[in-house]
Order: sequence, then structure tokens, then C-alpha cells
Amino acid sequence: MSSGENRITVGIPRGMLYYRYMSLWSAFFKELGVDIIVSEPTSRETFNTGAAHANDETCLSEKIFLGHVAELVGKCDYILVPRLCNLGRRQEYCVRFMAMPDLTENCFPGQDLHLLTYSVDEMHGSSEKDAYIDLAKQLGFGKREGKKAYSKARKVYEESWNARVKAEEKLYDTDGIKIMIAGHSYVYQDPYFGGMVTDVLKKLDVTAVHANVTNRKRALELSDAVSPTCKWEVSREIIGSIVEHKNKVDGIILVSAFPCGPDAMVNELLMRKINGIPVLNLVLDAQSGVAGIETRLESFIDIIRLKKGML
Amino acid sequence: MSSIESITQGITDIPDNKTKKLGFPRYAEYNCAVKYFIDHAFDNAEYVLPPKLTRRSDELGVKYSPESVCFPFKTLLGSMIEVLEAGADTLVMPHGLCRLGYFGELMEQILRDMGYDFDFINMAAYNTGKKSDWIRMLKRMEPHPNVPKITKYAIEGDKMVGYLDDVTERYYENVGFDPSGEMKKIFRRFIAEMYKVDSRKEIEDLYQRTIDAFDSVKLNKPAHPIRVGMVGEFFTVMDPYSNLGLEQKIADMGVEVHRWMNISNRLLHYPGQKNMAVSIKDYTKYEMGPTATANIWAAKRYAEMGYDGIIHVKSAYCTPEIDVIPVLQNLCREYKLPLLCLSFGAQTSDVGVETRLEAFYDMVRAKAMRM
Repeated sequence: MSSGENRITVGIPRGMLYYRYMSLWSAFFKELGVDIIVSEPTSRETFNTGAAHANDETCLSEKIFLGHVAELVGKCDYILVPRLCNLGRRQEYCVRFMAMPDLTENCFPGQDLHLLTYSVDEMHGSSEKDAYIDLAKQLGFGKREGKKAYSKARKVYEESWNARVKAEEKLYDTDGIKIMIAGHSYVYQDPYFGGMVTDVLKKLDVTAVHANVTNRKRALELSDAVSPTCKWEVSREIIGSIVEHKNKVDGIILVSAFPCGPDAMVNELLMRKINGIPVLNLVLDAQSGVAGIETRLESFIDIIRLKKGML
Repeated sequence: MSSIESITQGITDIPDNKTKKLGFPRYAEYNCAVKYFIDHAFDNAEYVLPPKLTRRSDELGVKYSPESVCFPFKTLLGSMIEVLEAGADTLVMPHGLCRLGYFGELMEQILRDMGYDFDFINMAAYNTGKKSDWIRMLKRMEPHPNVPKITKYAIEGDKMVGYLDDVTERYYENVGFDPSGEMKKIFRRFIAEMYKVDSRKEIEDLYQRTIDAFDSVKLNKPAHPIRVGMVGEFFTVMDPYSNLGLEQKIADMGVEVHRWMNISNRLLHYPGQKNMAVSIKDYTKYEMGPTATANIWAAKRYAEMGYDGIIHVKSAYCTPEIDVIPVLQNLCREYKLPLLCLSFGAQTSDVGVETRLEAFYDMVRAKAMRM
């Protein structure tokens, strides 16, 4: 399969889990000798295309995701749309991640998308490792090749993640105002919408640190003190990171996409439970213009400067 | 510190000898079975019936809830406030596979911030799969549980739910063809009496009496009536208050309405996803959400049985059911079946629903006449 001419190309939509798992995917496919292409960074066009395929009420992030899928149609042999239910008890994902492959397929009726998928549902006996071996098999590789590619990729993934966490931890020691951005990576890292939060903070000469870039295991444990029954893994990582780093930053921005199932509830709880530090609850929707966000962020930073006697 | 200990921290323990007044949010008419169970199975607890849901329940819920949480959270929060007002001192909150699993924790926080004092039994905190945790939960409702007694009344409560679902199903299938209005009266009387029954015999007698009364009503039902199947989200599709009496509205147009989704079918006697998944494999490969498989399966079954239309019901912001809609759209397109998707929230008005229902009815009738 991996010989010169007959190489497979897998298309990766630049949305949702891309921001969490890209380094794992690229290492895995590289190890198998499978080529990958990634859709272009989100633009207005991506959003509009995705929104046309999506149900009106679905979240902004899903609309963007479908736009990326649409862009990849016809440009590769397969489009990767994983299914991620949970990595164990109280390490669950929003139900939308469970529906993702079927949802994507059904949002493009009459089109053969050539979706490539794997399903992680640890609570029902399907581990991440099993899922990746299955993925390799679907591409025509043997179990052994799949297993080897997964363990190598997992190692690369963990190393790159640890390096990122280490770099992020250093930011807490920098001088000046530090603001924690607490949200899903696919929201705040997407250049088309959440990305503007980081851009504006930079302009305001503020150091942005990211709650989710943290020691995940520790964060899961720490999250229980604030939210003992929270079952979503990413929410727990963010909560735990806030518990750990709250005293090292000057303010927290809860950033979410409208309407986000878990965030709507978790961020409400955080607004009620996180005391002694300014918190801004920023919900981004398709109408959020840069100017509006800029004004809110500026006044938030002004309050912090005032509080610190810097104004 | 374990998660269960932390959630109970700071809560005044009610002494063992005092009778607990248990509150449980309003959920369609299922509260009659909850009431029967608690009043009979526990020696040191009594049930406080929450008032019927009204505009006020919603307004209270909306006022104190985050905006984009699904509507059942708001309704249930309103109901919890009303059951506290009615004298409950211990609230029991069920959990579920979607956001429902987090309702309890946020609800408790909101109610405490409002200043209420109560004991809160959040079933999500005991959902570890361990039997010992279930017993710990039970002991918070009843310090010295009498297990044989609890089992006996759990079985009878289950029976009650079964009868309630059965009578409800028969009612909506036929009420649209009863010009006398007699069925409506029988159904109302049945519901009212379900809250008063005191023994297994009384339950069974009431059920039999109701079925017999239904049978004695003279219907003018055609041999091939227009039939509509209703599917949707676990709470809103079953709760007549939340869906603005949708089932009755459809029936009143002279339609036979069927709804597979109820507590008996989905919760107490669920046949399991696996066999359902087989029949819908052309539409979905995996389970898409807590009620997705069952709803897609039911819709396909209605299509195959020759129903004339499908109505999908959910609350605003219900994530899993939003994701079911594209599948139902494809399914109904293939079977050439009219599909009406309704989303209920604070802004949904009777008039709006009726207008859409009338347009849907015209399509359904046109299809039925072509057949």
C-alpha cells in the first residue's frame, strides 16, 4: 500500500478535533506512509458553505467544520471524521462528537464523501488504540502495522504536547498583565472567529495564556473541587487549569461558541463559583464583529489595569 | 475527597427520625408513579407533589438559567423552585446521558445562590456503576431502607407507568374520532385518579375500568384514518405542557397520533440499541445520541407502516436532537413523507405552532388522498 504511485491521501478538516489531535494524526499517517492534506484556515466562505449544509440551530463550530469537509470533497481519497464518545468515565465529549461521522454524512445527502472514521468509546470497550488499529485496517494495513504506527504516533503526540505545556507554564512567570483564555481549542484557535480574542489581547499588550494547555491528568483531578459531577473531559481540563493557575493571572476570559452545550452550563457554574478574580464570559456567534469584541475586551482590560493601579 | 462527599458538604443533615419531604420535578404525568412509590416504599419520607407546570414555572426557570441551556433545564428549575415553595426539604434530581447529567449540579448551585435551604440528592453523583453507591443514594432518601418493600413498590410503580403509557397511547390514537368528547373526560378522570390510588388492586381496577370505558365510546373512525407518528426529545415530546399540547392538537384535526417514545419504551423496557441499529444502518452507522437511534428507528417504522407524516419534537438548544434532524430529513425524503420539525422554547407560541401544523396537515392529507 505504501509504495510510490498508489499512495493514499487523507483529507483532514481544519475544525473541531483537528486542534486537539492533529499532531497525533499526522504522525500516525506519516508512519503508515499515507499522505494528508488539510483544508485551508477558516474564512467567511468556509463558514457560509458549512452553514448551508448544517441545521440552523447547530453550533458555530459545527457549521465551520462542515465547511471544511465541503472544501475537501474531491480533493482526496478519504475525509477523516472521527467519532469520539469518551476516554473513560467522566472523560466524555459533547454528544455531537459521538454523532459526527453520521451527522456529516447526513448533512451531504446524495454525495459520497468517502468518510474515514474511527470510534473511541472507552466506556463500551473501544479504546483509542483499538480505534487507530481499526483505522489502519480500513486503509488496507495489517494489525501489526497499525499498532506500531499508533504507539509511535502516541509518543510523538505526548512529547509535543508536553513541550507545549512546558512553554505555556513559562508564560505564567512573565511580567505585565496576564489573561487566561478558557475555552475549546477549536474556538479560540480558529483564526476566523475565536482567534480575534488573542489578536486583540496582543494589541492591548497583554500576555494570553490558555487554560486547556495544561497537565491534563492533574487538571482532571483538580476540577473535582469546583465541579464534582462534570463529565466532559475538556471542560474538566479547563476547570482544573483554572483552579491551578487562577492566582497567577489577572483575569479570565471564558470564550465559547454559540450555542455550546457543555459551555452554556459549565461557564455559568464557573461565573458563580470563581471568586476573587475578574471573569469575562464571552460568547461568540456568527454576528460577532471584531469591533464589538474589541470594545468588550478593552473595557475588561481597563478594569484590570484600574484594579492594579495602572490607570 | 471523593466527588460524592464534596457535593454533600455544607448541607445540613436532616436527623434520621424526621420525615423527609421529597421533591422531584414535574415530568408529564409520571409524578403519579413517583408519588405512589415514595409514599409506599419509604417509612421516613413523604412525597411533595410539585404544582402543574405553568407559565410561571417557565418564567422562573428562564429568569435564573443561562440562556443557551436546553429548555427542559429551565422548566425543571422552575418546577424545583415551585416544589420548594410547596414544602419539599429534599430534592431528588435524575441524571441522563446528555446534558441532563449536569443538570443537578448547576441547578443546586443556582438554587443555593437564590438562598434556598434544602438537601439535594443529585443522582449523577452516584452514577458510578457501583451498587454500593446506589445504596448510599437510597440511604439519603430513606436512612433505613426496607429492600423487599422498596422492590415491591418499585415493581408496582413500573406497572403504573406502563398503564399510564398504555392509556395515553390508546387515547391519542382515538380521541380525534370521538365527537362526543367522552374520551377526553375518561382520560382526565383516569389521570386525576392515578394520583389517588393506594394499592396494586386499585391501580389495576382503575386501568381496567378506563380501558372498558374507552371501548364503550362510539367512534367515527374511518377504516384508513390519517396517521401521524411523533418522535423527538425525551422530555419535550412526552410533556404536554412543554409541547403546548401538541398531541391533542394533532388529534383534534381528526388524526391518529402515535408516539413510541415514552418512559416504558425508552427507559423501563428498552429493547436495546443493537437491534434497532440494524434496521437503520442505511442512515446511521453509529449511535448518535441518547435517543437518536430510537427516534430514527421509530420514524422508519412509521414510514414502513404507511403513516402519512412524521413530526419531530424537541426543545430549543437540544444538541442531540438537533443532530437527528438531518437524518430524519433524508429518511422522509426517501419515503416521500412530510416531516415537520418543531423546536419549543420560551418564544414558541400556540398560534405559531397551529399555523405550522395546519400547513403540515394539508401536506399530510394530500399525501393520504393520493394513496
